[in-house]
Amino acid sequence: MLAYILRRVLATIPIMVVVALFVFSLLYLAPGDPAAIIAGDQASPADIERIRVALGLDRPFLIRFGTWAWDVLRGNLGTSVFTNLPVTVMIAQRIQPTLSLMAITLTLSLITAIPLGVVAAWKQGSSIDRFAMIVSTAGFSIPVYVIGYVLAYVFALDGFDLGIGFFPVQGYTPIQDGIVPWFMNLLLPSIALGMVYMALIARITRATMLEVLSQEYVRTARAKGAGQGSVLFVHALKNAAVPIVTVVGIGFASLIGGAVVTESVFAIPGLGRLTVDAITRRDYPIIQGVVLMFSFVYVLINLGVDLLYTVFDPRIRY
Amino acid sequence: MKRRSFLTSAAAVGATLAAPRISLAQNARVLKFVPQANLSSMDAVAGTQYVVRNAAMMVWDTLYGVDSTITPKPQMCEGHEVNADFTVWTFKLREGLKWHDGEKVTTRDVIASLNRWMVRDTMGQRIKASLDALEALDDRSFRFRLNKPFSKMLFALGKSNAPMCLIMPERIAKTDPFQLIKEYVGSGPMKFKTDEWVPGARAVFERFDGYSVRQEPSSWSAGGKQMKFDRIEWVILPDSATASAALQNGEVDWWENPIADVVPLLKRNSNIRVDIGDPLGNIGSFRMNHLNPPFDKVGVRRAVMMALSQTDYMQAVAGDDQALWKVCPSFFPPGTSLYTEAGGELLKGPRDIEGAKRALKEAGYNGERIELLVPVDVPITKAEGDVTADLLKKIGMDVNYVAADWGTVGTRRSKKDPVDKGGWNIFHTWHAGADCINPAPYTALDASGDTAWFGWPKSDAVQKGISDWYAAPDLAAEKKAAEEINRASFENVTYIPTGFFLQYTAWRKNISGIVKAPFPVFWGVEKS
Amino acid sequence: METPYLAAPALPDVLPPRKARGRAMLFIYRHPAIFWGGLLLGLIVLIAALAPYLFTVDPTALAPAKRTRAPSALYWFGTDMLGRDIYSRVVYGARVSLLVGFSVSAISSVTGMAIGLCAGFIRPIDAIVMRVMDGLMSIPSILLAIAFMALLGASVPNVVITVSIAEIPRVSRLVRGVVLSLREQAYVEAAIASGTSIPKIIWRHILPNTLAPIIVQATFVCASAMLTEATLSFIGAGTPPDIPSWGNIMAEGRTLWQVKPFIVFFPAMFLSITVLAVNMLGDGLRDALDPRLAKRI
Repeated sequence: MLAYILRRVLATIPIMVVVALFVFSLLYLAPGDPAAIIAGDQASPADIERIRVALGLDRPFLIRFGTWAWDVLRGNLGTSVFTNLPVTVMIAQRIQPTLSLMAITLTLSLITAIPLGVVAAWKQGSSIDRFAMIVSTAGFSIPVYVIGYVLAYVFALDGFDLGIGFFPVQGYTPIQDGIVPWFMNLLLPSIALGMVYMALIARITRATMLEVLSQEYVRTARAKGAGQGSVLFVHALKNAAVPIVTVVGIGFASLIGGAVVTESVFAIPGLGRLTVDAITRRDYPIIQGVVLMFSFVYVLINLGVDLLYTVFDPRIRY
Repeated sequence: MKRRSFLTSAAAVGATLAAPRISLAQNARVLKFVPQANLSSMDAVAGTQYVVRNAAMMVWDTLYGVDSTITPKPQMCEGHEVNADFTVWTFKLREGLKWHDGEKVTTRDVIASLNRWMVRDTMGQRIKASLDALEALDDRSFRFRLNKPFSKMLFALGKSNAPMCLIMPERIAKTDPFQLIKEYVGSGPMKFKTDEWVPGARAVFERFDGYSVRQEPSSWSAGGKQMKFDRIEWVILPDSATASAALQNGEVDWWENPIADVVPLLKRNSNIRVDIGDPLGNIGSFRMNHLNPPFDKVGVRRAVMMALSQTDYMQAVAGDDQALWKVCPSFFPPGTSLYTEAGGELLKGPRDIEGAKRALKEAGYNGERIELLVPVDVPITKAEGDVTADLLKKIGMDVNYVAADWGTVGTRRSKKDPVDKGGWNIFHTWHAGADCINPAPYTALDASGDTAWFGWPKSDAVQKGISDWYAAPDLAAEKKAAEEINRASFENVTYIPTGFFLQYTAWRKNISGIVKAPFPVFWGVEKS
Repeated sequence: METPYLAAPALPDVLPPRKARGRAMLFIYRHPAIFWGGLLLGLIVLIAALAPYLFTVDPTALAPAKRTRAPSALYWFGTDMLGRDIYSRVVYGARVSLLVGFSVSAISSVTGMAIGLCAGFIRPIDAIVMRVMDGLMSIPSILLAIAFMALLGASVPNVVITVSIAEIPRVSRLVRGVVLSLREQAYVEAAIASGTSIPKIIWRHILPNTLAPIIVQATFVCASAMLTEATLSFIGAGTPPDIPSWGNIMAEGRTLWQVKPFIVFFPAMFLSITVLAVNMLGDGLRDALDPRLAKRI
């Protein structure tokens, strides 16, 4: 097992190299650079050129990539072109909000979607099943920001005057400042972001449960007198867990895309917004640092998912 | 190396997490402000963005300031002495000026700051070009010795147009003028809390108790800057729907630039006050590249002006509220001392599409493809770009609408290459009225050809007018020079003004002391 | 001792001949998702195709004097911030959104299939290509898309290319998985052993088995592509604003959604219905073609 984990971790290195080279080339080729933005509107063309040179943006590709790669290997992700703050500091500032958002979204989605999927599978073909599936399909057919705006309107601005406008419209309260404010800030964004995730999980749960419920061991469990709840959640769900966990892992990547939008709408100072801002302003060190970090996290999540398989399915061994 | 940088960042994370938070009880001493754009850097001399300048004004002070009549008044200086022909200027600093780290402000800091500023600023460049010596006479006095008269010295030192002449500690001022400073220590009424800065999300300013306030009443950047808040938080909300909701919900106190369409909603809210933010307004700009065909021919440029409807542009930019915009057949803002409509006849009266089509043909337009650069992430320029695409199509020109972000446009517009090698024909922007009140800060007016602003217009008549203004002894002569400039600029079509528009500002009703100015004035504002 | 096998008794011909209409109704009853999804999608495609004939005006014609008018008899869906008719923009926008959805779906399916087939069969290619695909997948697709758009500039073909690149890794993984499992099958081993050329094996044995999961995946990719286009437009990295698409109508109107919600509402509704229809179609196809596929995404 340990050898497997080690092999997997080592295998991330070529992936990271590919990612680093790819992102770096992309940025190098993309038109526009931070010099013009730093210079501002009133600056002259000569000013912009001098700023470019001062930033070292006129050096050839390989030298720039080499310098950056060497720095990364020594743990230095560079400093932001605009703020002169280290990239690691800027990322560290933004991790907590994004992690919190992801955590709450994941929890909410799992809590709502899995029971929904299980019930839909149990009552397959009934109106509950149809309804659940339509609702979840609708969930990932509406753009995230539309859901976000509607939620903000109803639950934060109290647009329909129902007296339910307790939630804040925007912002993030760190967890050290109180669990309740932290949660209140994140609930509406999590629901908006989680709709898609919830829909995916509900569907895959239903599909896998359908297959599992038709297996012989379920009949055996029923014959042995196990209650319906126990059959569904203890016997069937555990066996259905592997594909569900797979989807949770894969869906995580798409969650990041939705997080970018959600962070914009609800003004959460997270990594998604940091990256989009950095891309728009061509703040190369941040873009490179963040993308490298995301890909590392993604690989870790995949590893985690694969390890989770062994928990749910004893037949799987590495 | 690896461990050290890891520890540094871990410490930084720890510092961020452990930073003190203000409890609800102290709310009245905290102001939450939503700026017009993201504060991406804090160097207002190397970078000329308005947002950066607005923030820097709190942290750094200037030798002189300007009041609401745009008259320079002493700020860090006690006063000045100048000789009869404006070639020797002597200044003396006030007593008791301190930096945020407790050190005294000396003339060494002033001279280093002046040297850095003079490299980047147009007026500063003029001073530098005729500078014989800039020397410190003692710890508080310094002198400029010029070999050519320069009567507008006080305005140069006190103007609020970017880049402002901000006074920084010597060690910071020694940074190359083309590189961003890394330390943000000043002598202004607020300290910048670098450890609480989350770029793109929040910037925090804290009261500097060692600031010595002038005794005069405050007016724009002149007079006594009495700071009534302990803490000012800039909350960056790029999504204006979110900003509007946050203001209505009381989560922020002051929104610099609400979009015009949302303003009726805000006005209906009894907890919110709305008013014009900057009486000097803005002039929209339709800027053509004078180097590339077809706009290298003045006839083609004038033909477009015949069909251009400032009404269309202004409605697209400023909305339905007629109080927010005016037709402006002038390069100077309406209501200012140099405003003149001389030469702007083509922009007045009903638009002539057919006449424009004919004029195009006569001027020699051969169906060349127009590269129209539109920064679509900035609402004002996007609106202008959309109207232009429609306008050019109406008069029969072939338009390539290049949708890009501001950064890309900013880089591409600096290229003088022909269009097929990555050049451009048209881009849009706007200029704050304060930047257009007279030729001194007005980089876009300059028509010196190769060294002019993007577009590189060339007109000796305009340049003569500008020199005449600099040499003008009184207001009447200045006005005459302005008329000359206006006429010549329209003749040559340096750029086409798309109209004059104002913007609102909005605040919660428990905030008082907000004044109309070209930049948000934070001193004198308080919360009940 | 042999167990006697009883022949099934011959059934009398008592069942009536099945009528065509009966079969159609049976199809609808058995596969409601395919029917309704397909119908809805077909309707939207029809609307998009017939755009000029549906009482629309030029969707790019500006009239700033008539900006942000509420829906009325003259402007069925109202006008936007530049005075353009929203109804016309939504109807013409259907063309762009559908084009993006279908193109991305087609391109990513074909390319992903090609890559997956090669990777499944040729070991060395498998190692390299899958590493590259992993690398691509580990970059969040939205960020990849924004970066590409910054590189290529805004235009509809570039949006298609960008979104396709983000979707190809998943399709190729799917195909590769199918190929790898099929390779172990006895009949494929037999075919290889008997000297059948690889291309023929692919054509005759592998390809037909990959079609079903690919078709299902293609519908989901189509839905995802349309939503990604809307998200990209929201961020400002989508189709250029002078070409109406549901995504950029919503993006332009979102700052006004509190005061003029109709600008966002109509394209949002159309987009949601179309994506819903495509998803339903995909669900139905998957249930019909192979219930076992329900486990794989």
